[in-house]
Parts: sequence; structure tokens; C-alpha cells
Amino acid sequence: MQFGAPDFAADLARALDALEAPRVDIPVIQPAEPFLDMAGEDLRRRIFLTESETGESLCLRPEFTIPVCRAHIAETVATPRRYSYLGQVFRQRREGGNEFFQAGVEDLGETDEARADARAVSEARALIAQFTPGADLSIILGDQSVFEAVVAGLGLPAGWQKRLIHAFGNEQALDAMIARLANPDASAQPDASVAGFLARGDVAGLEAHIEQVMQETGYSTHASRSPAEIAARLIGKQALDATRLSPGSLDALKAFLALDVALDRAAPALSDFARHAGLDISLAQQAFEARLDALSERGEDLASIRWRAAFGRPLDYYTGIVFEISARRGGDLVLAGGGRYDRLMELLGAQEPIPAVGFSLWLDRIESVRAGK
Amino acid sequence: MTLTVALPSKGRMKDDAIAVFARAGLTVSAIGNDRSYRGRIDGIDDVEVAFLSASEIAREVGAGAVDFGVTGEDLVRESLARADERVEIAARLGFGNADVVVAVPDIWKDVDSMADLGDVAADFRSRHGRRLTIATKYWRLTQNFFSTRHGIQLYRIVESLGATEGAPASGAADIIVDITTTGSTLKANHLRILSDGVILRSEACLVRARKPGHDGDPRVAALIEAVRSAG
Repeated sequence: MQFGAPDFAADLARALDALEAPRVDIPVIQPAEPFLDMAGEDLRRRIFLTESETGESLCLRPEFTIPVCRAHIAETVATPRRYSYLGQVFRQRREGGNEFFQAGVEDLGETDEARADARAVSEARALIAQFTPGADLSIILGDQSVFEAVVAGLGLPAGWQKRLIHAFGNEQALDAMIARLANPDASAQPDASVAGFLARGDVAGLEAHIEQVMQETGYSTHASRSPAEIAARLIGKQALDATRLSPGSLDALKAFLALDVALDRAAPALSDFARHAGLDISLAQQAFEARLDALSERGEDLASIRWRAAFGRPLDYYTGIVFEISARRGGDLVLAGGGRYDRLMELLGAQEPIPAVGFSLWLDRIESVRAGK
Repeated sequence: MTLTVALPSKGRMKDDAIAVFARAGLTVSAIGNDRSYRGRIDGIDDVEVAFLSASEIAREVGAGAVDFGVTGEDLVRESLARADERVEIAARLGFGNADVVVAVPDIWKDVDSMADLGDVAADFRSRHGRRLTIATKYWRLTQNFFSTRHGIQLYRIVESLGATEGAPASGAADIIVDITTTGSTLKANHLRILSDGVILRSEACLVRARKPGHDGDPRVAALIEAVRSAG
């Protein structure tokens, strides 16, 4: 076992070995680009960056999911395929050390999503229970695909659906958007130079005008946003700016985001909501219930898991379930986190869609719970 | 204990800072010749003046290496993480005014606000195979404004150390975050500030390092009081 690993790491490695997920070795020094590209610039100040002699941005491994997925794509091995990892990660944190251990499993290409989701939750829970005996654990679960179904059911324009889905998991941003949908600001007028085209609905003329201005002002029409893209969004934006949600739909959206129930009552709570709101979200309900069944089949106690409808991660590669397992002690301490990230593999360059779900354990926090700190 | 005040070492900033101090009844004179990097305040023995570059001043005050500094708020907030915990803006001095702004190509007629820009950023990768890029030398201010204030994560910063306003036309970046005083340079480059795109209205400030030794030091309070009344 590596130097500095917690004393239970060897036992944890054996427990991972039993999960049909061969261990992968990921180099500590990683190209920084994929992390910054996937998670955004904000990550820059939380990782340890350096530069190679040739100017390539390198960083100390800040997490495992992205390099595990990249390694999988590079080796072009068949799916489904599961991987596990255990090792140090490096992040600039305000609390806790800058280097700590994580372990986890990535489950790539399993097309039975309900089963794969349930397996991830169940394995993470079992590992946490094994290594923090006696701890008071709470499990919280969210599902972006149910939110997507609700938003689609409300009949919002596609642009608004995208905005809301993009903000899912960011309570503040979502609240601001809901306030805006309740009370649209119709005062903004289109720029005088394009108002005529918009009033006439002259898309071709608008595009030609934009293209001409770009050429006259020395802007490339293809290096960045194209005339067609700007024109299309300009037309769509008028509808977006004017969109107002009816009080009934607003109430439905707020009622959904307020749902917070134990999983054994989640299916009736969701169907009650859909009935009251008059929404057809039956496909999402079926997928949600299939996952509940898969969790029950694995022997999970649904009453001990909470579903919070507003729980999500505002990163564009998360697509479905997200979950966290915490120890209750004063404030909650997150010991494990996981989720479905179906979009990540393609963003990283996979040639075809590969469904993916995984989880990660925070070994330093598990250690502090074990020590009763 | 000697108090150190860092003042800009050259240009308009230096002249304006010395003028404010003079109005405050604090006559700054260089030790030795005019080009000297050390000075004093006439009539006060235990105050030393160090002439430094404006960005050095921000760092030195942040590190507590000097007690006071005169520099732009933009440099303070850009150079220092959690600036308000480390320094106090003791007085605003009414010169060196400049806004740090988000500007997009004017022809992006569909982008008026940060919310619009958020939509564009969210879709950018699927349309262009890369993230939206921002040319700037203000990494920290940009990250705070985009990520914390507006929940926009999906963009990449392209470092720009000069002529930032030319980056969109040259194809080096899609948009910029830069400093502007009159807006004429932006206009000349066919760029437009977003309606809610002012990140910071900056001006020269008297900045104090938060040092425990300052509490109850009458010279500290007197210096701030004098500069405030002259600013």
C-alpha cells in the first residue's frame, strides 16, 4: 500500500477486488486540459498546475473519473466494462489536507441503467457501512432525468428547458430563472439594426446582414459564432424573453423541486405530483421505478434513502442519478458521492455513446469517522 | 515601528497619488534624487515611502510587507484571493477610474446580458467542438464573476497580456474581459459591454494591510482620516 494511505486501505483494496472491477493504474501527473475542459475554469484554482518544458499544462491528478474514462477510450476495449481505483488525489482545499486518498468504481457501457445505478448506490453504501461500522449514515439521491421530464412537460420553449436543465443542482441560479419566468422583463428591445428583419421574419436577410457586418468589421464568419447561429438565436430569443409561465405551471415547478421523501414513498409521491400538476412524465416515472425495484432486489432498505427532487450537480456531463452518502455528526460529512455521467464519454472523444455511472469514496473523511473525530 | 506607505513609482498614478497626499497635508519627497525608489513624508519621522509598480503594491499590501499602498482596486482584487480578509480599502481617491467589463463582438446582437452569454456558453461545445474562450489578464475577477455571480462554468480563459481588445477579431478568443475608461477602444474594435457586464468599477484607492499592530495606532487612523478628507 502506498505511503500515507489510511490503515484500512489494504482491506478496502480487497473489498474492491470482490466487486468485479479490475483496478486501473492512473499516473499522478495528468494533462490538465481534459479536467479544465470538462469541469470549467473554476477548477483551475483548486488543482495543482504546472507546465512541461514544451508548454503543455500538466496537473497532479485531482480525481479519477476523467482519467479512467480517457484510458478506457484510448484502449478501445469492449463494453460493458468496470474499473476500480484507489490512490491519492491532489486538490487545493480550504479544509483538510491538499493530498488525500480516494477509491471508487466506474461502470462503463452497462445498458441496463436501472441495474447499473442500483449497483453503484448499493456497492458504495456497502463499502461505507463496512468501513465506518456503527456510524449514523444518510443517503440522498437525485435524478436529473425526472427534472428534465417535468420541464419538458411544462411546455416551455427549448431554450428555457436547456437553461433550467443546465442550472439543475444550482439552487440560486434556478431560483433566479424561476423568478424571471414568473415576471419576464419585456423591456429589452432588439437592436435597431436588426429590428426590421425580426419584425418581417426575414431570416435570410438577417443572416446576410450579419455576415456583411462581420466582413466589414474584420470578423471571421467561421472562427467563432457564425451569422446563421447568431440569427437563429436572435429569433429564438424573442420568444424566450417573452416567455411567462402560468401560475399553475410555476406552482408545479416549485412543488416538484420541493419534493423530499424517503425512497419507499417516492414512487407514489412522484405520481401524485404528476397527477396534481397534470403532467405526463410516465417514461421518467417508469425509469425511476425500475431503479427502485433494482435497489430493492439488491436488498437495499428504501426507507433509509431520501430522494430530493432538487438534488443535482450543475455540470453538463451528469445526466441521471446523483447520490451522496454522509455521516450525520453535527454537520453532515460526505463520505461517498456518485452519479450517472452518460455525456462524459463522448465529450472525452468516445466514438459512440457509452452509458456510465460510478462512485467515489473520500478516504480521509472515512478515516476521521472511524477515529470518532 | 515605522509605517511604510507604497506609492506608484511612475506616470499619472504617481503624480495623482502625490497630489492627493499633498492635499491631505502630507508632503511626499524622494530621498536622494527624483528617481529614487524611497521617500519620506515631510514632518513625520516614522513614516517611510516606497515607490513601487501598481501591481507590486497590490501584492505587497496583501502580503503585509507594507502597511499602506495606493493602487487600483482592480489590481487588489485580481492579485489577492479573499482580498477583503487581508486588506481594507481605506479611502477611494477619485482618480485612475476604470471599469473591468465583459465585452462581446457587437455583431452578437442576440447577446445583451450575462444570461444570454450563459446560454451561448452552454451550447458552445456542441456547436463548435470547443468551449467559449475569454481573452483576459483578469483571471480571478473573471472566474469569480462568471462562476460565482452568474453560475457560468463552461468557458476557457486565454491569457492575454496586451491588446486584449483585438482578440475576438483576430480569432484568438471569442470574447474579452478587460479594463476600459471611455469605451472608445472597445468601440473601435467593434466590441460591446453587456448590460450587466460591469465586473468592477475600479479607481485608485488607499489600501491598508490588515495588521494587528494597526489597532490603536494613532498614526494609522490619522493617515486614513487625512487622505479620506483629501480624496
